Amino acid sequence: MPDLFRVLTTGANSLAAQTAAAATAAHNLQNVNTAGYARQRVNLETTLPAEVVGDAFVGRGALLGTVSQARDRFLEAQLPAAFGNAAGSSAAAGVLASVEVLDPEARGGISHALAGFYAALTQLSQNPSDPGLRQAAIGAARTLALSFHQTRASLEDARAGVDRRVAADVDEANGLAAHVASLNEQIRAARAGGGGEPNDLLDARQKAVDRLAELTGAIPVPTSEGDVSLFLAGGAALVTSTQAGRLTALPDPAQGGHVGLQLTSGGITTALTPGGELGGLLSASNGALRAAVDGLDALAWDLAAAVNSVHQAGVDLDGNAGLALFTLGSATGPVTAAREIAVNEALLADPDRLATRGVTGGVAGGAGDASNVLALLRTSSTLDPAARLSRITSDFGTAARSADAMADADAGLKQHLVTLRASASGVSTDEELIELQKAQKAYEAIARVITVTNQMFDTLLQIK
Amino acid sequence: MRVSDQMIFDRAMVDGGAARTRLDEATARASTGVRVVHPGDDPAAAGLVTAERVRMQRLEAIASAAGRASDELAAADGALSNVANALARASELAVQLGSEPYSAAERAAGAKEVQGLLASILSELNVKVGNRYVFGGTSDGSAPFDGLVLDAAGNVDAAATGVYRGDANVRKVEIAPGVYQDASVRADVALRGAGGPPAADVIATLAELANALAANDRAGAAATLGRLDRSITQLSTARGQAGAIMNALDTAVAANDAARDDAEKRIATLADADVIQAASELALAQHALEAALTATAQSFKLSLLGKL
Repeated sequence: MPDLFRVLTTGANSLAAQTAAAATAAHNLQNVNTAGYARQRVNLETTLPAEVVGDAFVGRGALLGTVSQARDRFLEAQLPAAFGNAAGSSAAAGVLASVEVLDPEARGGISHALAGFYAALTQLSQNPSDPGLRQAAIGAARTLALSFHQTRASLEDARAGVDRRVAADVDEANGLAAHVASLNEQIRAARAGGGGEPNDLLDARQKAVDRLAELTGAIPVPTSEGDVSLFLAGGAALVTSTQAGRLTALPDPAQGGHVGLQLTSGGITTALTPGGELGGLLSASNGALRAAVDGLDALAWDLAAAVNSVHQAGVDLDGNAGLALFTLGSATGPVTAAREIAVNEALLADPDRLATRGVTGGVAGGAGDASNVLALLRTSSTLDPAARLSRITSDFGTAARSADAMADADAGLKQHLVTLRASASGVSTDEELIELQKAQKAYEAIARVITVTNQMFDTLLQIK
Repeated sequence: MRVSDQMIFDRAMVDGGAARTRLDEATARASTGVRVVHPGDDPAAAGLVTAERVRMQRLEAIASAAGRASDELAAADGALSNVANALARASELAVQLGSEPYSAAERAAGAKEVQGLLASILSELNVKVGNRYVFGGTSDGSAPFDGLVLDAAGNVDAAATGVYRGDANVRKVEIAPGVYQDASVRADVALRGAGGPPAADVIATLAELANALAANDRAGAAATLGRLDRSITQLSTARGQAGAIMNALDTAVAANDAARDDAEKRIATLADADVIQAASELALAQHALEAALTATAQSFKLSLLGKL
């Protein structure tokens, strides 16, 4: 037969269960803005076994069963790749959009310098003995050389900026990888303690895994022990259960000294082509930016070769054989030519050394002979540097536009999945307020039960 | 679909941010009038704009150089015109003083005038534009013709007078990318028939006229008339050549100006924003942002928080 003490005891247990429900709702509300947090729900259970009274089962109230997270595992399995792709394309698009040196409307850019060089030669061809025009032509050649330097330097600066971001990302990724390995260990320990699911540790791991997916494109793979291992493109393991690998950013000679990545995992070091933000950064640097640098170098090399070949066939104002108009410093091939190109010091010092006169039948023309200037002008059609510059610009633009389109598409997919996850796991203040109300009402009712039971005690004790 | 607070705020951030980005882009297009700022805005157009800008600047330079060449030819034509006038006067003197009524003194005075005309012609032919002599071929630095030289008797030294010091080259100027045009006339051909068909030697003829008049040689003076006429014709031919070249250069200047304008229009078509479209996009973007902000504010208001 149930007694009043049992009613008081079950009432106290039920009050505790409702308090847990209120606390969970409060916890949810307090984490409403916490990134990676998945709302939690208490699962109240009827206290078993019920008490048998006569032929009937009399219930013994409620108690706290479990506190579980609201997660959609199918959805969350798609998120790491979406995070990695979105971060990668966004990083690449951001890097390429920040490069302004190839903007077609930018004043003082290389296209203006190239046009200025040929315009100065055109002016010079009309009166090659004019000292002002000779000085202007030398000045235009110098401006062109400087413009090659500046354009290449701007592109290289962008690549150096990528190197710095890669180094910072690598530091963050290494910290996160170690954190995930550590959390795997803590989660194992918590589960072994039999205290149910360590939801907040799971949230922290999920948050670290999400960020690692963004940084490196790492894909999480759950293990049978409940750990999460992380694998990079090509199957390299960044985290294996409780062991974290280590990424290193090192200068890569194949990329002109710009950084490349290595992964050391399980004592083995391998070169790495990552995904995610790191992949996007390296793809922009080693792709479109490098192509633009290489294109400029090749253009500078070919232009110098073509112009020098013609210039050296001519004769200067004093009857000397033409010198090389452009020097290329230490460059022995196209590589770094845009950085090394300069106007010959002898011509800078004495514009009379500009070889404007042609040689016909072994006899040089007079001071007003512009046949070698006209030959120099012909390089604008034989080499067509404007078309090559145009190609460099449009190729770069195509890469930037493609990266931008990819970034939009990837961001759209990521946002869609994030919205679905927020729908499944996010906290709703309305819901939590209702949960709080539910817990409060139940708590009040149970408290009333205790009050009534107490009154019943009093009644019983007053029997004489 | 279940709606969490994160979704509401994310939507506000993402949609509001996107609307603000579109407004910023539309404002930039409307205020600058430029559609292609970065190569990524329109890669093909950016490449073409780059090439067109190079071409445009080249066309400007060609027009400028052709214009200056035309100015030089105008100076050359002016000098040849003065030479032709002097030859006409010499011809008048030859007709006049080759006749009976004139005395030796009058012919001697005529000889002095012809010597003056010769000196004047040689001075005209040594005309400079800027730093260079226009009749010296490509020898810019020194006067193309020696001056008047008299012998001890005061007669014109025909061998030493007006010796041509220039070369036989003709200057060329670019009138379109890769297209070149002669930009000078050969004064040695115009005056002495050098390198051309058999013609009169203007300077030798004038020297002969002056010396004949000084010697009171009426027949000798009259004998120069035919060559003086041919000299005038020869000068006219040279002036005609100069005029033809000037026409070609002026046409080239106009053609390059037109081509430059075309290139500028093409750049505008490729890179510039359509004003009406830009204004329309700006208005649309403003409305879109306003709607996004209003919707966001409304969604924030709807909560149990204020009602419990």
